[in-house]
Amino acid sequence: MTTLGQLVLSGIFIGAIYALMSIGLTLIFGVLRIVNFAHGEFLMLGMYGAWAMTRLLGLNPYLAMIAVVPAMFLFGGLVYRLIVSPALDKPHLVVVFATMGLSIFMQNAALMLMSADLFDIPPVFGHAVTIGPLYFKAELVVGFVITVICTLVLQWALKSTYLGKAIRATVQDREAAMLMGIPVPRIFLITFAGGSALVGLAACVMMPLFSVFPTVGLNFVLIAFVIVVLGGMGSISGALIGGICVGIVQSLSSYYVAPAFGQMFFFILFLLVMIFRPNGLLGQKGAADIGIAD
Amino acid sequence: MAQSPGRISLAPARGTLSVFEIALLVLCLVLVVAPIPQNLQDIIVLTFLWAGLATAWNIAGGYTGLISFGHAAFFGIGAYTSTILLVRMNVTPWVGIWCGGLLAAFCGAILAVICVRLRGPFFILSTLAAAEVIRIAALNWSSLTGGPEGLAISPAADPVNMVFASKHAYLALMLGYLLLSYALTKLIDGSRYGYYLFAARDDEDAASAAGVNPLAVRTVALMLSAALTGIGGSLFAQYFLYLDPTFVISPEVSFQFALLPAVGGLGTAIGPVLGSFLITPMSELLRSYLGSKVAGLHLAIYSALLIVVVLYFPSGIAGALSGLSRRKGGKS
Amino acid sequence: MTELVQVENLGRAFDALWAVNGVSFSVERGELLGLIGPNGAGKSTLYNLLAGALAPTRGEIVFDGQRVTGWKPYHMARVGMARTFQIPKPYRRLSVVENVMLASFQRHRSVRSARVFAEEILADVGLSDHVTAPVTTLTVGLLKRLEVARALALEPKLVLFDEIMAGLTPTEVAAMTGFVSTLPARGITVIWVEHVLHAIMKTATRVMVLDRGQLIANDAPKAVARDAAVIKAYFGEEISLA
Repeated sequence: MTTLGQLVLSGIFIGAIYALMSIGLTLIFGVLRIVNFAHGEFLMLGMYGAWAMTRLLGLNPYLAMIAVVPAMFLFGGLVYRLIVSPALDKPHLVVVFATMGLSIFMQNAALMLMSADLFDIPPVFGHAVTIGPLYFKAELVVGFVITVICTLVLQWALKSTYLGKAIRATVQDREAAMLMGIPVPRIFLITFAGGSALVGLAACVMMPLFSVFPTVGLNFVLIAFVIVVLGGMGSISGALIGGICVGIVQSLSSYYVAPAFGQMFFFILFLLVMIFRPNGLLGQKGAADIGIAD
Repeated sequence: MAQSPGRISLAPARGTLSVFEIALLVLCLVLVVAPIPQNLQDIIVLTFLWAGLATAWNIAGGYTGLISFGHAAFFGIGAYTSTILLVRMNVTPWVGIWCGGLLAAFCGAILAVICVRLRGPFFILSTLAAAEVIRIAALNWSSLTGGPEGLAISPAADPVNMVFASKHAYLALMLGYLLLSYALTKLIDGSRYGYYLFAARDDEDAASAAGVNPLAVRTVALMLSAALTGIGGSLFAQYFLYLDPTFVISPEVSFQFALLPAVGGLGTAIGPVLGSFLITPMSELLRSYLGSKVAGLHLAIYSALLIVVVLYFPSGIAGALSGLSRRKGGKS
Repeated sequence: MTELVQVENLGRAFDALWAVNGVSFSVERGELLGLIGPNGAGKSTLYNLLAGALAPTRGEIVFDGQRVTGWKPYHMARVGMARTFQIPKPYRRLSVVENVMLASFQRHRSVRSARVFAEEILADVGLSDHVTAPVTTLTVGLLKRLEVARALALEPKLVLFDEIMAGLTPTEVAAMTGFVSTLPARGITVIWVEHVLHAIMKTATRVMVLDRGQLIANDAPKAVARDAAVIKAYFGEEISLA
């Protein structure tokens, strides 16, 4: 029973962190209706940033957010201007290939600059967190807390701020939003940059838990895709629930079956959802129909 | 028909052979028999093979709009089927490649059941996930696949085992594969079934209203594409004489499948061939000149070029060529 | 037996809302039946039910002597029910004639004969000048004609026209009206949804009026035009239907 509780709770914690890493992807999908295949490499870049802040400047990785998040915002804006925006009015495969090309480019640029070595940072906290008889890495719990706060703030911002409302209007009906005078291209830019900034935030939360290397993004981007689709593309609370599902599945299957099969299980989970609920677990009707149609 | 018949077009019209295609075929035949340095022959072998594979992908991706990023799974299934048959049961690959093709077609049918109703990113991501399931299975089912250590085919030249000492033989084999893929594509291109594929791709509702069952059409297209890809996978194994799951079933391999037709021109018969003739030698040359100097440099250059090409030539080389010939034709 | 379509108590609910509710009617061979009603009356839903694009929540459809309730759209097309789409749905990467060929394949299995037939149909609807044009170059009016051509290329027993006049000039409306009125003589029964009411009132043998998912009138055009319930459904004021 204790083992099960331990597994489920750590599944929830790690799943929430996965969700944090996926929120940027889901936002970008919801608003721009494109899949950023370089999302994992954005995470990789953010993790290198957090690593550099910690190792080279001696900052606490959570404080590194102050620099990494705005830097990733700018980086996202740059990528949007140079690669995404020119591809938007072209056949839908163009943006798929352009972002995939960017993904390969970033991986190899990282390989050239940082080598294939694994980099990590020392533990931030000296001790574990205990909940009753259960022990958890403190970094895991902190990551969970940050995710929850971040999700709540983001939900509030989308509901209550002008920008948030404009973003939600664009998600619902792009043409109508344009007619209502919402500057849709600007919303696209802000969403893409903001989504990238969120990946930067996730990178700072993940750096104390994982090592960074040029292809680290590949490991996580597939998880992020699964989460985004499970939660219904474009939904933040959906991403949180999707993330927690993936976290629990991974945690249980690595313990009870074999770590190698953990990944396989959530891919199978993903495919099952696609068969039986093609709009995602929480997806609204017709989510599959928007998406890409050039 | 209204297309001016006298004009020599670069991009062939639907269902006909153009002068350009015949010239390309002659060039390929010359490359098979010509005395060329071995390292260049290696590049040509890969170019032919990838042209055939990209052509196979294009039947699903270009003609039917099923943008698969999971074709590495069919490729791997073909490669493993013939290799396992050869290594463990001593079945000649001349039989094994067809078994690989059949099994890949069967898996294509399963994939179709899962995701043929899905659209856009949902379809892409499902194919990616399905291929990952196959890769992880291959990695962990060591008794069958050899797991991460992989499988090796005895390098002793023996035509019965489809292992050759001469590069010319491999060139002929790969060109044969390319011609098989291409002939099937041309057959589809000019036929009623080809139009059914286009209809299922362009508008599902309109296709239905015209009496075409879009799901059935897509399933058949995916199975055919998978079968050809499986055969190509077997040939790849016979050429490299070694297989491991990350080598043949990685997302990078899947990406290559989609990239070549996209660069060459999606949904045209000639596009994937042009894509491979341009990209495969370029990436191999970059690899051999730069790969050893700075790790990652050749792929960084390659991917940067790729981004520029897809952004500025969104309809691919074939599209650019037909635009060119249309402009020329308009003047005359 | 002269009845081509029999619809019995047909209904379709979206969640709790009945878009079409308890609709019964029949169509005889050779009729040109107008179907009108205010926006949101359920005309599109009724079409989608007839054409198989939506499965009915209840009720039965009999077409040409067969019970076809719940059949898929491609089955309906194969047994002779053609439709147009209100918002044209061309195959965007094909030429005009290829768009029509996809429908003519139903009766003409070879590419060559399908093309010949498609070109005849294109001439019928006045698209002869655009045979090999990419479909993306067509204006809205021409796309509407393409929709008509694609439906007729199936050589259907019944065709469902959905606002094929919208966006046409008055001259084009007159030409299209004349063309549609020749169809019953060619053995094609027509059901016709149109907002250009005078076209329907002039050509239809009978008019059905749908309001809030229910049939409120089903009679000769003149009688329908005088029907109080119909007049009320249309903005509650008398409109000139003649």
